[in-house]
Amino acid sequence: MKKTLALLLALCMIFGLMAGCSSSSSETEETETEETVEATETEETADEAEETEEAAETEETEEVAEVASADDIADTMTSDDGTYDIAFITDVGQLKDKSFNQGTFDGVKLYAYENGLSYKYYQPANGSEATNDDRYDAMVSACENGAQVVVCAGYMQEDALTAAAIAYPDVQFIFIDGYALYDEDGNVLTNVAGIAFQEEQSGYFAGYAVVAEGYTSLGFSGGGGGTNSACCRYGYGFLQGAEAAAEALGVDVTINYSWLYGSSFQASPELQTMISGWYENGVEIVFACGGSMFDSIVAAAAENDGAVIGVDVDQSYESDTVVTSAMKGLSSATSWAIGKYFDGEWDDIGGASTSLGVNDDAVGLPTDTWSLENFSVEDYEELLAALKDGSLVVDAEYPESVAELTFDHVTINYVE
Amino acid sequence: MSFLIRQTLIYAVPLMIVALAGVFAERSGIINLALEGIMIFGAFVGVLFVRVMQQAGVFDVAKEMSNYLALQGFMCLTMLVAALLGAVFSLLLAFAAINLKADQTIGGTALNLLAPALVLFLIRIIANQNTLQMASGDAASWFMIKKAMLGIDSDTSNFFVDTFLNKVYLSTYICIIVFIVLSVILYKTRFGLRLRSCGENPQAADSLGINVVRMRYTGVVISGALAGMGGFVYALTTTNCSANGDVAGFGFLALAVMIFGNWKPLNIAGASLLFGLFKCIAASYSSIDINGDGIYGLTTIGLNANFYRLLPYVITLLVLAFTSKNSRAPKAEGVPYDKGQR
Repeated sequence: MKKTLALLLALCMIFGLMAGCSSSSSETEETETEETVEATETEETADEAEETEEAAETEETEEVAEVASADDIADTMTSDDGTYDIAFITDVGQLKDKSFNQGTFDGVKLYAYENGLSYKYYQPANGSEATNDDRYDAMVSACENGAQVVVCAGYMQEDALTAAAIAYPDVQFIFIDGYALYDEDGNVLTNVAGIAFQEEQSGYFAGYAVVAEGYTSLGFSGGGGGTNSACCRYGYGFLQGAEAAAEALGVDVTINYSWLYGSSFQASPELQTMISGWYENGVEIVFACGGSMFDSIVAAAAENDGAVIGVDVDQSYESDTVVTSAMKGLSSATSWAIGKYFDGEWDDIGGASTSLGVNDDAVGLPTDTWSLENFSVEDYEELLAALKDGSLVVDAEYPESVAELTFDHVTINYVE
Repeated sequence: MSFLIRQTLIYAVPLMIVALAGVFAERSGIINLALEGIMIFGAFVGVLFVRVMQQAGVFDVAKEMSNYLALQGFMCLTMLVAALLGAVFSLLLAFAAINLKADQTIGGTALNLLAPALVLFLIRIIANQNTLQMASGDAASWFMIKKAMLGIDSDTSNFFVDTFLNKVYLSTYICIIVFIVLSVILYKTRFGLRLRSCGENPQAADSLGINVVRMRYTGVVISGALAGMGGFVYALTTTNCSANGDVAGFGFLALAVMIFGNWKPLNIAGASLLFGLFKCIAASYSSIDINGDGIYGLTTIGLNANFYRLLPYVITLLVLAFTSKNSRAPKAEGVPYDKGQR
């Protein structure tokens, strides 16, 4: 009796251990076995996976159905032959970070859904400590699973992406927040398309809007520890926008500027305590510029009845504390770039760095969920028009450290 | 000052309650290394419960009507669920350590390995990612007590109201009360004496008619319940009510605090407050304004920021170095009870 029980318990522990080792490297294996099982089980009925059924139904009834939002499309789908046309490799942080990863993946899902293609996401192993090898492995499994287009989010994928693009020259890679890549001999990799955004413009809008709204004590909490160029551009634009609005209104603005506790874009108790301290000491609104850090910042804001500026996508749905969001059109740009391949126009973007800004309608504030009162949608559109016709230029060349910057109306309180 | 106290409590309370969990197990003679694992499990269960209830819309009406009493009740219920399942989880350890007389250190370590793996596995199934979050809203907007809720005028501002009645979680006070009640039980009741005797000399206790096996089970189950509850309280107050198979090592810190506090509740409370205070200073030294004159004292000293981040660990090391000579673990902890051994 005792021996059996001991054996049982030992087995439990072994399973626990095995589950530990395999958190994501085995993900592909898992799904593969699932697929084969499903393939044999379902054959013709194909109703195993709800989403495929739904998709098929809607397509039959109303051609390509209009979907309200990407959230209505399932994150995982099962294709009939076990291959996936479009693959998405996540950046550090969560798939559902309500921001960068999610926005990019929404573009993948929307395009795939509207065009009847299959898609799959891969989270490189080891979460926020993912190495280049982990990312490379994820890309390899994407390619081996039949991906024609692989969407890679985040500049940290550069090394892994270069290796994967050389190893799989027939697969097209879209490098979001990235740039054109070169092989060792300096030849451009034509199967990589770098897509970047002019985040400084979006940051500028956000900074201008909140200062025009009447906030004078601002905060900026960025991810990537000051090395992520997208976050740096957001922050630099934010400062310029705040300065411009402060000058127009003749007010003085202070900005707490910090890269602390954000190097892995994760929520943390320390970040929450720090931001709580800011609100406690009079900061009215904080620009949450970094993926899942949003959770900590919103928690601090909700505690102190403060306000938050969201990032990358319209985050006002996530919390009542969000007054506006500095957006970049991740979803539409991703769909657009994938479309380039399937429409046979890959050469337009392959092997080049594309930077999308106001002229491509790729950056801006969300006008559908506008909640600012003193700064109206009309005011925003005026600003937008000025930026479009070139009468207003936002500097994108961010300095090494914002601590060196001085403005006439903005005092930067660099927190380190 | 109010800010500092509030934030210190947020760090200190989970540590305190989980360290007490360790005391209950070890005083009954079982080393509970699995505190971290049970916390992780408790945090997961609590967040899952909140999420499921939100999705079922059970408390939507209460939220819309701003019925704070119901929402606080919801939170207490969640704490209870987390405690219950934490206790169930700890039965694994109790069974291995008491019935099978297995090595308790290894059993605890196994649970520590099992919990994050199991939790992440389930979270990935449920949420398709590595973090399980609330279905809607923020922890603060659902569960935090603000002075307006208590009918205190928003202009009223004095030290007591600002520190203890505004922007606090009820869970903090529940944990403190539970901590006091259980400490009294451990030292002032017949049950407490018997429990402690099982950790010192179980053979002697048995000879006097105390059921050692039952006492040790009770100790571990109480321990599991407290750790599970502490795990959820941690998730609620410091991670916006989300679970990701990680509690930032608070379970191990709690073990350290327990040893640091010499297995005595009062010392443990002091140790966790000390640690919490320095953790809080490390994270927010640049916005701490002790006397309210608008000057942030710690920034004017001109010390490097990393110095403050080192403090909690340096202080712990120092105190341990000076006090560990006097620390005395329960004598029979870690030794499986064998009736025949005298």
